[in-house]
Amino acid sequence: MSRALLLALALLLASAMPAAAHRLKLFATVEDGAITGYAFFIGGGRPQGSTIVIRDGAGTEVFRTVTDDEGRFAWTPAGPDRFTVTVDARDGHAAETVLEAERFGAAPPSRSPAPAGTPTAPPPSTSEAAMVEAAVDRAVARQIRPLLEAYDAAEGRARFNDVMGGIGMIIGLAGMALWASARRRKDR
Amino acid sequence: MAHIPDGLLSLPVLAGGWVATGGLAAWSLRRLREETIPTTAVMAAVFFSVSLVAVPVGPSSVHLLLAGLMGLMIGPLTVPAVMVGLALQALMFGFGGLLSLGVNTLNIALPGVVAGLLLGPLVGRAAPARAAVLAALGAALAVLATGGGVALALALSSPDYLPSARVLLLTYLPLMAAEALITGFAVHFLKRVRPEALAGGDRP
Repeated sequence: MSRALLLALALLLASAMPAAAHRLKLFATVEDGAITGYAFFIGGGRPQGSTIVIRDGAGTEVFRTVTDDEGRFAWTPAGPDRFTVTVDARDGHAAETVLEAERFGAAPPSRSPAPAGTPTAPPPSTSEAAMVEAAVDRAVARQIRPLLEAYDAAEGRARFNDVMGGIGMIIGLAGMALWASARRRKDR
Repeated sequence: MAHIPDGLLSLPVLAGGWVATGGLAAWSLRRLREETIPTTAVMAAVFFSVSLVAVPVGPSSVHLLLAGLMGLMIGPLTVPAVMVGLALQALMFGFGGLLSLGVNTLNIALPGVVAGLLLGPLVGRAAPARAAVLAALGAALAVLATGGGVALALALSSPDYLPSARVLLLTYLPLMAAEALITGFAVHFLKRVRPEALAGGDRP
């Protein structure tokens, strides 16, 4: 009997572990005009050498790479567009995330076309405003990145309430089956 | 792992998985007796919660399936039990998917059912220690068959998705060991305390 208690205790401890769902997810964000991110398994682990494919708004493949040892990747697009990033871990796991064109705010100042050939210099306020906007974009991106990461990580986590809800539903199904079989016996 | 998400498999594979799972579920549900309903529900609940807990292993993470143990305890009723567990996981957590539910159920449940049908009579007659070894072996082979089924479903859909052997070995070898160990201990325990629980759904 004590063995039974021990087994029950072990099962209880095992089930008390934080339930971490097993699923591949993809985190991608825009920083300074570049797409950076990483693939990760909810519950731990980062797939290495997984294929990352980035498609533009028209659906054509514009970039393809593999994740590094930490599951990371980075790419700088030529301009803003609606990019779809997909990852395939090659073991039956795949994930996808979409970066809207609005996420690419001001292009880095180096890439803005210089208004050459104009006799009068452009008003200094325009380039200054662009620089300020780019700096603000960078600062905001740096600050909200941990937030976005935490949200993505939390989204797929299996919570205790969800698990209990599922078990309750299974008990309900069993109850329905028992009820049906009891009715059938009574009819006979 | 064993939960293939929607959008990876081709239509014939999805349809084939649903037809096979539907047939197996209908066949096994005819064997559902009033006495076996609670055990089936308990195993469905165990499968549902146990396969949510993922343990990081190397670059990936694995979770238990316990199909071998289910096959020994509830026999063909493993199919509806796994199906209910997977459907709830797909709806609540986005694990796998409803379209690929057929293929996923087949990959997980069928090896367990086969292990239960083949090893059930042997385990039923053997002494606890021998039964535990047999059950552990069956559980390990069931995991291997699940991995093979996942690889086959992906390869049939598109050669692009053929899983790399390195990834498969990395994820399924630790899982085989863990499943063998847990199933072995569970069967050893049940064999001594409640041998009738290993009747494979054919409780008299």
